[in-house]
Amino acid sequence: MLVLLQLYWSFLKIGFTSFGGLSMIPLISSEMSAHGWMDSSEISDIVAIAEMTPGPLGLNCASFAGMKAAGVLGAVFANLGVLTPTLTVCALAAVFFEKWQKSTVMQRLLTGIRPACIGMVAGVLATLSLTNYVRPGMSGVDAINYVSVILGVVDMILFIRFKQSIPRVIIFSGVAGLILFGFLGL
Amino acid sequence: MAKKKTLCIPRLFWDFFKFGLFTFGGGWSIIAQMQELYVEKEKTITDEDLLDLTSVGRSLPGTMIGNIAMLYGYRMAGYVGGAVCLFGMILPPFLILIAIAGFYQVVKTNIWVMAAMMGVRCAVVPIIAVAAWKMVNGAFKYPPCYAVTVLVAVLYLFLNVNCVYLVIIGGIAGWLISSFYEKKGLKETEKPTGSKVRNSDEMRTADAARMEKPDAEGRK
Repeated sequence: MLVLLQLYWSFLKIGFTSFGGLSMIPLISSEMSAHGWMDSSEISDIVAIAEMTPGPLGLNCASFAGMKAAGVLGAVFANLGVLTPTLTVCALAAVFFEKWQKSTVMQRLLTGIRPACIGMVAGVLATLSLTNYVRPGMSGVDAINYVSVILGVVDMILFIRFKQSIPRVIIFSGVAGLILFGFLGL
Repeated sequence: MAKKKTLCIPRLFWDFFKFGLFTFGGGWSIIAQMQELYVEKEKTITDEDLLDLTSVGRSLPGTMIGNIAMLYGYRMAGYVGGAVCLFGMILPPFLILIAIAGFYQVVKTNIWVMAAMMGVRCAVVPIIAVAAWKMVNGAFKYPPCYAVTVLVAVLYLFLNVNCVYLVIIGGIAGWLISSFYEKKGLKETEKPTGSKVRNSDEMRTADAARMEKPDAEGRK
């Protein structure tokens, strides 16, 4: 029982002090080792697993760490911890946002926030491209993984030209990966 | 106004459950999926609305896509809607993680799983890029807005500036840019005074979107 509360509390802190993405990792790592729930190699595994499974990184880390520390219930409590900011702060923000989204003040602010948001997405795309299309090469020199790039282009064509839905494109890409990187070992 | 379009709660749950299954790439692809379903197919929100929800969700504590699910759900069906979207969205990754945590040594070293995941990752960038590209339509009200995008991208990429500050910078820039142009009186008609103006904006972007994709409805 104490473990569950500790898990909730740890992930509550993580949830409130992080704003998504990899910024959570250092905090998760210190919380996990402070309680002895995970060692450092497990923490690096967690990042790899959280990134390859669907869902946001923070929640996936919470599920994994909670599971390790106290089983399924642990995962539930850790998840609730990360979600508490969303259920409280964000729910409050939703009320204000619905009220004022169309006000003059809000419209003025949004005139700049929308392009800023596009800028952030562009930044995210650049970092994602680095992790997805570049593989660490020999002697520290990274090389572009041309197979991945071509598969990405094919995905894009399927998506835009042939109007395939997102789940279909993702499933196609997974199967293609299985064949290209698995069977053919490219 | 939005309340008229209230979807039934089970539908919201099911929609977000499906989103949750395919949110690879740190969750950003949920925006692409919402764009596909809600903006293009059902037209319950506009590209601008989605961008606004994303900005707000990104700048609040907690996971971004959880916040976006909450904001969208709240808009459609109040608190219950928000909670339903949130839990619908996190359920698939939660179940998957529970399963993986059980035997992750096996999963981690399985080359087939890794190969499939490498493939999936290749699809993430094009999907998010296309969604972002479609949202560009309504994002740039005045020319200097392009500069804001470039500035934010640079700050994010090279200086690792926290997204909260980026949103604040965007807000300040937006305020300055709008007051400048409003004073100049260049855009009398587009002066953001309320929902009427917004509606014409919405219609324009919706028209543009329709022209671009005449068969968007037919996509399944």
